[in-house]
Amino acid sequence: MLRIEHLVKEYPGGVRALDDVSLTVRDGEFVVLIGLSGSGKSTLLRCINRLLEPTAGRILLDDLDITAARGAALRTVRRSIGMIFQQFNLVKRSSVLTNVLTGRLGYLSPWQSLVGHYAEQDYLRALVNVQRVGLRERVHQRADRLSGGQQQRVAIARALMQEPKLMLADEPVASLDPATSHSVLKYLQQINRDGMTVICSLHFLSLARTYGTRVIALKGGRLMFDGLPSEIDERRFQDIYGEEAVEVEIH
Amino acid sequence: MATRVGSPAGPSSAPPQPAGVRSARAELARREDPRRRLLRLLSVLIAFGVFVLGWRVTDIDLGKLANASNAGPILKALVAPDILSRDNSQIELQAPFESGATASDTTLASGPTGQTFRITPAGAQPGQTVTFEGAGFEPNADGDLRVVFPGGGRDLRFTRLTTDSRGAFHEERQWPDAATLPPGTYTFRLILNAPVGSPHLSDTMNSSLGRMGETILLALMGTLFGVIISVPLSFLGARNLMGGSAVGQAIYWCMRLLFTITRSIEVLIVGLIMVVIVGIGSYAGVLALVVHSVGSLGKLYSEAIESIEPGPVEAITATGAGRFQTVLFGVIPQIIPEFLAVTIFWWDHNVRMSTVIGLVGGGGIGYLLIQYINLLQYNQAATVLWMIVIVVTAMDYASARIRARLV
Repeated sequence: MLRIEHLVKEYPGGVRALDDVSLTVRDGEFVVLIGLSGSGKSTLLRCINRLLEPTAGRILLDDLDITAARGAALRTVRRSIGMIFQQFNLVKRSSVLTNVLTGRLGYLSPWQSLVGHYAEQDYLRALVNVQRVGLRERVHQRADRLSGGQQQRVAIARALMQEPKLMLADEPVASLDPATSHSVLKYLQQINRDGMTVICSLHFLSLARTYGTRVIALKGGRLMFDGLPSEIDERRFQDIYGEEAVEVEIH
Repeated sequence: MATRVGSPAGPSSAPPQPAGVRSARAELARREDPRRRLLRLLSVLIAFGVFVLGWRVTDIDLGKLANASNAGPILKALVAPDILSRDNSQIELQAPFESGATASDTTLASGPTGQTFRITPAGAQPGQTVTFEGAGFEPNADGDLRVVFPGGGRDLRFTRLTTDSRGAFHEERQWPDAATLPPGTYTFRLILNAPVGSPHLSDTMNSSLGRMGETILLALMGTLFGVIISVPLSFLGARNLMGGSAVGQAIYWCMRLLFTITRSIEVLIVGLIMVVIVGIGSYAGVLALVVHSVGSLGKLYSEAIESIEPGPVEAITATGAGRFQTVLFGVIPQIIPEFLAVTIFWWDHNVRMSTVIGLVGGGGIGYLLIQYINLLQYNQAATVLWMIVIVVTAMDYASARIRARLV
C-alpha cells in the first residue's frame, strides 16, 4: 500500500536526516519504527504526509505519487493519512467534540468550515469514534482538562474521522506512563486488527515486540533492519542502538 | 629558638587565621581581566557624564519646584473644585428705623435663605453712630442701601455697599442732622444679590460631565475602529503564518514597518496632524486614536499569534485542511485569550489618551481643561482634574474585573 523509494531528506549544511531509505508497507501491517533519537523516525513519518518536504525520492500510496501532489491533490492525499503525535497536538481551549470534528476538515470547503457547518453524518461519525476510544462522557469537556492518555485517545478519534487508509503515529506514548502507554497502544492495535495499516515509532523495543507485526530500524537516517520483532537478537540490538546500549523493559 | 606568636598573657586581637582558610578566600576571589575592569570603569564614568549632561540640559532646579507663589494657587484650587453652585437673584430686606429717638435694641430683618440685616441701634439721634450689618449674601456683590421717608415718601439712596468674600458687610455711619432726615419712622431698603434655591451642580460640573461622556465615547470609537483594522492586519504581520513564500515574507515586512511607524508617532502628535486635516473636534481625536492603535494593536496581536503552539496547527494541516481552515481551527482558538487581554488593556490606554487628546484640539475633556488653565480658572480646572481621576480609575478597575472574568 505504501512504497518509499530512495527517500532523501537533506538540510542546508549537508546534514542528511534520511539517506536513501526504501521500503514497502503492505496493507494491514502494524509497522514499528525504532532507532535512537535523531535517527530519522519523525522525519520519515513527516515526509509521508508531506509535513516535511523530501529532498529526493518518491513515496507512493496505492500507486498515487504523494511527493508530486500539489494543492487540492495534496489535501486529498493528506486526508487519507491520519497522524497522531507525541504531544497530542489538540487545540487545548476547544472541547473534545470540536477537536474530533476538525478531523473532517479535509472533506469540507472553506466556506462550510467558516460557519462551522459540519454535516449530520459528521456528527454521527464523531459520536462513533469518540465511543470507540471510550470517551463518550467527556465529549464536551475542554481538551486541556483531560489526562495525557485521554488526550491521545481524542487525537486517535480525530484521526479516525478522516477515514484514513493509513495511520501514522510519531512517538505516541513517549509522554505517557507505562500503563497508559499500553492502553493507548491497545487502541491502535484494535484499529489495526479492524483493518487499518499503522506505522508507529516507539522508543521501547518491548512495546515493539508486543504490538508490532514488523519492525523497521533506522540509524543515522539509514535503514538498518527490516524484519520480524522476534528477529532482533542482542547483536542486532547493539547494531541499532549502539555498543553501550542496554535494553530497558517496560511492563 | 622558637618564636611565640601573640602575647603570652592578656587579650590579644583576633587569633590569626589558619593558613588554609585565608588561601581559600584568595583562591576564590575572581581574578578580573584588567581590560574588563577598565571597561567597567569607563562605562561608569560615561554614565556619570551623561547624567551630569542630562541634569544641565534639562535645567533641573528643585528650588523652582518648591516655589510657593507659583504652586500655591493651583494647589489650593485642587482642594476646592467647583462642583456646586446656587442661583443668584436680587433680594430686598426691609427694616424700620426711628430717626430722632434713642433706642437700645436692634432691628433685624431676615431673608428667605438665611440672609440677615441688622441695624444697631434701632433708632438714633443725629450724630450717633449707627451700624449696619448683613450676612448670607453673595460674596463680593454690589448693593444699595436706601431709605424711605415716613409715610412712603421720598426714596433716597443712603449708601452703596459691597459684601466681602464671605457675603457679609459691616458699615458704620453717623446719623445725619434733622434737616436731612427729620424725625420719624423710616424704612431702610437693602437691595443685594443673594443665593436662592438649593445647591445644584455648577456649570463647570455640567460641562465636565458632558465632555467626559464625549471623551469615553471618543475612546470607544477609536478603540473599535483600531481593533477592526488591526486584527486582520496582525495575521499578515505574523511570521509563523507568513513565512512560507517570498511574497509572504514581503507582506510580513511591510506590515511590521507599518506597525512600527504608526506606533512611534505619539497620539498627541497624530492628533495635531488630524486637526489640521479635519479641523478641531472629536473626529480628529478618533482618527488620532485609530492611527496609533493600528500600530500598537497590530504589534501586540501579531506577537500573540507568533506565540501559539505549532503542534495543533501541524496536526490540523495533517488532516488535509486548507490554509484558511487551519488558521480558523488551529490558530484562532489559541489566540482568543491573548487577543481579549490585549484589547481590554488597549481600551484602558485609549481612555487615558482621549482625556488628553483635547489638549491639541481633538475634542473631549482635555479641551475644557486647557481652556480653564489658560484663563487661570484653577477651581474649574480642579473640577476637571478630579473628574478625570475618578472616571479613569473607575474604568481601570472595571476592566480589570472584566479581564479576570473573561480570560
